[in-house]
Amino acid sequence: MAVPKRKMSRSNTRHRRSQWKAKLPQVQKRTQNGRTTWVVAHRAHVVEDSQGTALFREYNGRQVGDA
Amino acid sequence: MPTPTKGARLGGSPSHQRAMLANLATALFEHGRITTTEARARRLRPVAERLITKAKRGDLHARRQVLGTIRDKDVVHTLFAEIGPRYENRNGGYTRIVKIGPRKGDNAPMAVIELVEPLAEQVVSEATSATRRAAGGSSAAAPAAAAAAEAEVTADVAGESKDEPTAAEAAVDEAEGTGDEPAADAADGEAADGDDESGSDSAEKA
Repeated sequence: MAVPKRKMSRSNTRHRRSQWKAKLPQVQKRTQNGRTTWVVAHRAHVVEDSQGTALFREYNGRQVGDA
Repeated sequence: MPTPTKGARLGGSPSHQRAMLANLATALFEHGRITTTEARARRLRPVAERLITKAKRGDLHARRQVLGTIRDKDVVHTLFAEIGPRYENRNGGYTRIVKIGPRKGDNAPMAVIELVEPLAEQVVSEATSATRRAAGGSSAAAPAAAAAAEAEVTADVAGESKDEPTAAEAAVDEAEGTGDEPAADAADGEAADGDDESGSDSAEKA
């Protein structure tokens, strides 16, 4: 089994940990049935009726299977 | 020239990947649309399209080659009887992959891979007649452009909102194809001339 040869310094540890950050999701605003929804680019989204029931998935104006 | 897949095999070993792709292709031809992970869909696409190309050829040899991948004879029959003829007018691009977001549980990016709709019959026949007329013309570029324009018009007439862009694209592709042919012919002619000259030279030397 591989084992570390040297102690990892506190500085290196903290630098590594500080690089782990959350990214803002890239979403687009879209109004559907008077409600604002957010869509992720290049991904199918669920189409809902006015009651908020999921109907089907859609991408690029084309139906892609059930919700 | 088929390029080998980069990276590790799906499932860990070559045989596991082969089995997995065969099963995915079988399910795709059986149902027309399957949901799987994005990586699997990306690997499946060339496999499935190659099988459809074989199905379009339709002879016994092609059928035996397909049976080497798809073990289910019912599915092979559907592939050769329905799916192959459906794409008679389409040169590749028989499948579509749409991303549908991460899976619950392991957050794997999922995708839907499906067989695309066949091209509209009427538009295709119009386009082929247009290209036939274009092929009779003298210059290469002008008839191709004219055929493309005509194809767009016919696509508009067909007026089905879903099929419209694909049909127009296909017509334009075909038109471009005819544009290339005269150039290829000219190249062949030159090559033949070159051969003749070399042949005469060698004859003189002899």
